Amino acid sequence: MSDLRADKVSVAFAGLKALSDVDLSVASGQIVGLIGPNGAGKTTLVNVLTGFQAATEGAVRLDGQPLSGLKPHEVRRRGIARTFQGGRLFRDLAVIDNLEVTGVGLGQSRAAALAEAEAMLDWVGIAPLADRIAGTLPYTDERRVAIGRALMGRPKFLLLDEPAAGMSAAEAQDLSALIRRIAGEMGCGVLLIEHNVGLVLGLCDHIVVLDSGATIETGPPAAIRASEKVRHAYMGTAAETDLPVLEAGLEVEA
Amino acid sequence: MARRPSTASVARRTIVTPVLLSVLLVIFALAAWAAGSRPFNQTVIDIFLQVIFVVGLYTFIGNSGVISFGHVAFACLGGYVAAWTTIKPMMKSSAMPGLPDWLMQMEIPFWAAAIAGAGFAAFWALVFGAVLMRLSGIAASIATFAMLAMVNSIYSNWDSVTAATSSVVGIPIVRTVWPYLVAAVLSVFAAWAFSISRHGLALRAARDEPTAAAASGVDIPRVRLVAFVLSGAIMGAGGALYAHSIGLVTPDTFYLGLTFTTLSMLVVGGMGSLSGAVIGVLILSSLIQILRWLEAGVAIGESSFALPGGVQEIALGVVMILILMFRPAGIMGNSEWTGRLPRFAKPGAPGPDNRSQPTGDQT
Ligand SMILES: Nc1ncnc2c1ncn2[C@@H]1O[C@H](COP(=O)(O)OP(=O)(O)OP(=O)(O)O)[C@@H](O)[C@H]1O
Ligand SMILES: [Mg+2]
Repeated sequence: MSDLRADKVSVAFAGLKALSDVDLSVASGQIVGLIGPNGAGKTTLVNVLTGFQAATEGAVRLDGQPLSGLKPHEVRRRGIARTFQGGRLFRDLAVIDNLEVTGVGLGQSRAAALAEAEAMLDWVGIAPLADRIAGTLPYTDERRVAIGRALMGRPKFLLLDEPAAGMSAAEAQDLSALIRRIAGEMGCGVLLIEHNVGLVLGLCDHIVVLDSGATIETGPPAAIRASEKVRHAYMGTAAETDLPVLEAGLEVEA
Repeated sequence: MARRPSTASVARRTIVTPVLLSVLLVIFALAAWAAGSRPFNQTVIDIFLQVIFVVGLYTFIGNSGVISFGHVAFACLGGYVAAWTTIKPMMKSSAMPGLPDWLMQMEIPFWAAAIAGAGFAAFWALVFGAVLMRLSGIAASIATFAMLAMVNSIYSNWDSVTAATSSVVGIPIVRTVWPYLVAAVLSVFAAWAFSISRHGLALRAARDEPTAAAASGVDIPRVRLVAFVLSGAIMGAGGALYAHSIGLVTPDTFYLGLTFTTLSMLVVGGMGSLSGAVIGVLILSSLIQILRWLEAGVAIGESSFALPGGVQEIALGVVMILILMFRPAGIMGNSEWTGRLPRFAKPGAPGPDNRSQPTGDQT
């Protein structure tokens, strides 16, 4: 069992407090949801957890060991993987090479990376795309490639930044099933950031809600669904599109 | 879908590119040998030297996406290694009296000097690169240029070991094309081997998406450094051989002029492609040569026809601009020459143009 923890993390950008005193923890095999309106600080927290952003205060710990000062590639090598809002695939490379990059980044030979990449494509369900150039893929496939790329080398934790953005309901269902397998079969701890609240409520064991950089609610899906504060946050500050999504999510799961 | 059967097949799938490029170079060498004309022989030697330089540049620029204006500095380091190690001790002691005794006495064959030049350049590439590779984008490019200016300034002023700005003469001249051919072929294979290596793959990923590459565990400064050292070594060997092709070196042999021509050839050929590096040299060098002949005058029947002087530079500039207007990514773009005829891209089927590096799939 591993555990990844943010302890009282604060981040300030030139006066703007993007995060204040945020606590969060994910354990192996667990799926934790991180939701909140646009600009709440979700991506900033992922950046702190993966070494892309230094915390102004507080610390990130993996199994009790502080990760502060580590560069992103060093954090990845300790087993904390992430995806990006918007994919960020290596557009000029074939899909299989996209996955291989992580293999070689983690120190494998090309042959070993290729072997693992082939198995991983199969596992994620996109084996037929192996030889396609990543930049030519449709959106949904891009997301799966990004997840496959992050899963190379069997990370202990996977942080997913809006993996379902732009997906249809059916595609989001397939994605949910994949995320369940990542936690269940691989024993990977998953942190899921999503605007599709229905997806989060359906998948997660535990949910953290951020608003303007502060934690406004934490708890199991039932507690989040019942929370007045959460409803308010979405109504008060969110872009209009968030509200129907939240409502839909609350209804579907209620 | 039939997947490739073996995991060790990246090399097998892509080796056709360096092989074809080498065949092309061999054809040039055979042409020089068959023609038996001394000026033509010298032209082909120059072409091979340019191939070495441009392939050296490609190894770093093509894979990393960082434009270096400074690589000719490594050719300079290699060129002076040739001077230090191959000129007769008698001549050395008068031109460069400050050389240490062991170096003063040294007199090694040209090929050993090329290897020593590669090693010396690689060492300094490691030293400079350790600092430079942390920079990105335009800052990195400017810093490489500063490195070139520094090396040029040291070699122009350190009288006792470089004879300052005066020509260092007496480097044994090698006039046959074969050693240059061998070196050009070796550099093509070295560049290919790097680009399909794990570092090459990681570096190309970092070129496209540095953030995602770092999140994939890639230590970007480190993989850049590997490419920088290898490309420095190729440039160093090229510099030493250049010295042996003309028999002398000056610091300005390896300065802005050579920087401009080599970068132009790479850009015209296609920065992201090894085939582009070689083909860019062959096309631009051939063009330069034809224009030179025309400037010198050709006899057509009774009368003779000659272009006015200076047309060469203008025509070259025009051709470069035209190529870049119609193919901004260079003749080869990011694709490699695999010996197949170019296909028109069918929807859904990646055509040669959106193929990536030698690692682009061939199955
Ligand atoms: N590098 C930065 N410099 C300055 N401000 C930043 C920076 N990164 C993020 N911010 C600000 O910090 C706040 C939180 O941004 P963040 O991207 O973490 O939000 P988010 O919850 O991921 O939003 P979204 O749902 O839109 O992705 C925003 O106000 C944003 O403008
Ligand atoms: Mg975000």
